Amino acid sequence: MNKIIFFGGKGGVGKTTCSSSYALYEAKRGLKTLLVSTDPAHSTSDIFEKTINDTVTSIYPNLDAIEISGEKESKKYMDSVRVSLKQIVSPIIVQEINKQIDAASISPGTEEAALFDKMIEIIIEKNDEYDKIIFDTAPTGHTLRLLSLPELLGAWLDSLIQKRSKSVNLMSMALKGQKASEKELEKDEVIKVLKRRYDKVLSAKKIMMDDRQLSFIFVINAEKLPIDETVKAINILEKYNIFVSGIIVNKILPDNMKDEFWLSKKEQEQKYLKIIAKTFKEKRIFTLPLLKEDMKADNLEIIADKFAVKI
Amino acid sequence: MDKEKAKEFIDNLRLFFQGVTDFNRKSRALLIKEAHDEMDDFILLCFGDLLGIPIPTTYYSLELLPLIAEDLDGWQNRMISRLYIWQEKWSDYGFDA
Repeated sequence: MNKIIFFGGKGGVGKTTCSSSYALYEAKRGLKTLLVSTDPAHSTSDIFEKTINDTVTSIYPNLDAIEISGEKESKKYMDSVRVSLKQIVSPIIVQEINKQIDAASISPGTEEAALFDKMIEIIIEKNDEYDKIIFDTAPTGHTLRLLSLPELLGAWLDSLIQKRSKSVNLMSMALKGQKASEKELEKDEVIKVLKRRYDKVLSAKKIMMDDRQLSFIFVINAEKLPIDETVKAINILEKYNIFVSGIIVNKILPDNMKDEFWLSKKEQEQKYLKIIAKTFKEKRIFTLPLLKEDMKADNLEIIADKFAVKI
Repeated sequence: MDKEKAKEFIDNLRLFFQGVTDFNRKSRALLIKEAHDEMDDFILLCFGDLLGIPIPTTYYSLELLPLIAEDLDGWQNRMISRLYIWQEKWSDYGFDA
């Protein structure tokens, strides 16, 4: 398994269970592990029955966790923009412009963008501090959008840098009779800001598309809808060059069924397991059993031990 | 030393003739206009949503806001009063000068 691992899948299949217990397994193995929840509806704190917030908290020996919130991150970012506005621009304009910031804070995509920024920050800054960084992501659609952001942003930033450079060049040609030098372009504040952002996105892209650094694991159940959705999601991810390395089939029913209802359920499960084996034949497939009780802190270890046997 | 003096002299000579004749006035005005147009496009890509065009990357353009805030008002007016594209293009050729 790689250093950075994303757990994704349809809502309710057990992403949090799998990512939390896998993080626990790595921590018990003695690896310093960070568990990051990016789901707006956080549940890692519920499953561990500990308070986890947007700062790194230790919840177990060797295991730290953080729940990142797009709302809080975007607020932080906008406040920082407001502060720098006050320093640079006249008060009358600031008042005008504040409207623009307020509008942006409710525009679609803002929280995702903030979440993505924080994710990049964690991947880049915590890379040396931890042996494993595990992401518990939001349901598929949200995560796909999140992971496709670098592609979109890269192209957008690139065209902005081109446009700004062209404008600076034209201005310099008009006033000095020659194009702006490389140094002058670098000194331009707008280009500086854009370049900084661009470099960040690029380094995130590099890590995300490197199948020796990042693994993506899909959690599914042996049912029709999760399988179908995962096939589609894998196609999209691979279009963005993010390689999906494994599938966890969660909530497998026990063998000794007696009741007629459960017998037919089990039969259906066997059918879907065959389909799963065929559909995802290039991926590693793990299975995890359905437990008697629902997921709580003490049950996590049971699942964690299962990982120890299988991986 | 001589070399520097000569360079200074040539520079001054160039500036003198430029000032006297100013053949470049027209081209310079064109270049400046082009530069401004390019910047208008730039702002459109960043803050198009001020005109009602949804831009998915608005969040990221916010950090540019302090740097181009001064231009934003003028830009918005220019964009809104951009009624006749023909008229605008016509004036690009500047038959008046």
